[in-house]
Amino acid sequence: MADFLSAYSIQRWLESCPQGYLVNTEYGHETGEEEPELLYSNEVIHEDAIRTTVQLVVGERCALAASSGLINAAPDEASKRFLATQTLDEARHVEVFTQRLYDLGVRKDELTDVINRYANPNLVKFAEILLEKVDKKDFIAGVVGQNIVLEGLAFSVFEMMHAMNADMNAKFAHTLSGTIADERRHVGFGENRIGSLIKTHPEKKSEVERMQKDMSYFMLATFADGFRNNETAAELDRIGEGRAHADFHGKDLGVMSPEEMEGLLADTVLKEFKVRLERVGIEYQTPSRP
Amino acid sequence: MTKPVQSDTTSTEDERARQRFILEDTGFDEVPKKYRKFYRKWKATGDALAPNEVICPVCKVVIRSSRELRPGDRVYCMPCMSRLIVVRTDAGTLEAHVAY
Repeated sequence: MADFLSAYSIQRWLESCPQGYLVNTEYGHETGEEEPELLYSNEVIHEDAIRTTVQLVVGERCALAASSGLINAAPDEASKRFLATQTLDEARHVEVFTQRLYDLGVRKDELTDVINRYANPNLVKFAEILLEKVDKKDFIAGVVGQNIVLEGLAFSVFEMMHAMNADMNAKFAHTLSGTIADERRHVGFGENRIGSLIKTHPEKKSEVERMQKDMSYFMLATFADGFRNNETAAELDRIGEGRAHADFHGKDLGVMSPEEMEGLLADTVLKEFKVRLERVGIEYQTPSRP
Repeated sequence: MTKPVQSDTTSTEDERARQRFILEDTGFDEVPKKYRKFYRKWKATGDALAPNEVICPVCKVVIRSSRELRPGDRVYCMPCMSRLIVVRTDAGTLEAHVAY
């Protein structure tokens, strides 16, 4: 039974989310907010913003497919209702990040092509591992993959992006802020539901641990592609634009190289995986480094 | 379980010794209005926990009580729905552990 959900209801979700931190927002940000002019005028930075946003759309589409697919696999009514609200959260994330692509100038008739062109193949493989479990209606593996691994990843990535954008791009920072608030519920559901369920299904541990290792590898490969091929920092230096001196886990992102940022994010996410999984009784498996 | 803090402590003397705090809204808007004063965002560098506060290890939000927290207290993190128990670390600080 999902006792921790006894106080959760659609009503509470309404009061916390649409009537709480999303009140008066438009596609997740305040009405009238716009992307900084530099994102439109500089070709390198513009393309990087589109590439980054495509990864967010791909990740959120995976989360939408997983959370909706898990509803009918859930063994109890409370989990089904929670996953119904999570499904709407994920659908909103897909919508707000897709809207950002439109705001950046992507036309609706070229959306599919743009996503296919920029979607990172390693992120797609990461999603496929999770969705295979969901297709098999494997609730335990699906929730670990979705609500601990994918959401844990999103939680740290969004926090890092929020830190980098807080002073430079209020529109995008506000959009990220709302998604971070949603992720709190999602990781909470993952930990609390699996924490009680894995005790009664210890035979699932080895399969879940293998999945975490495989997903973690493709996550690291996605980071490697994203940071090592990122030209924004060099372009900002070239045109004399300052970078945001944002704090992320005690480090100043404004003075770090893309490779150093990749290492910091990877270490942060893997450390979080380890702590979260060990809390619920699953042994963290160290992935190989791409 | 919607009260942010419940206590296992039954001693009246212990209850009297606890420091009391007046909680004000800090702008945290991720829970229904009447519960907002019980939570705040962790500000990372330069931030510090008061004796009536503990960090949720699951979602990193600061949970606030109207009285000083002590080991054994049970707290509830509404933003992520986690039920937590306050413990004292070897370093003498308070932290929350998840009760599944």
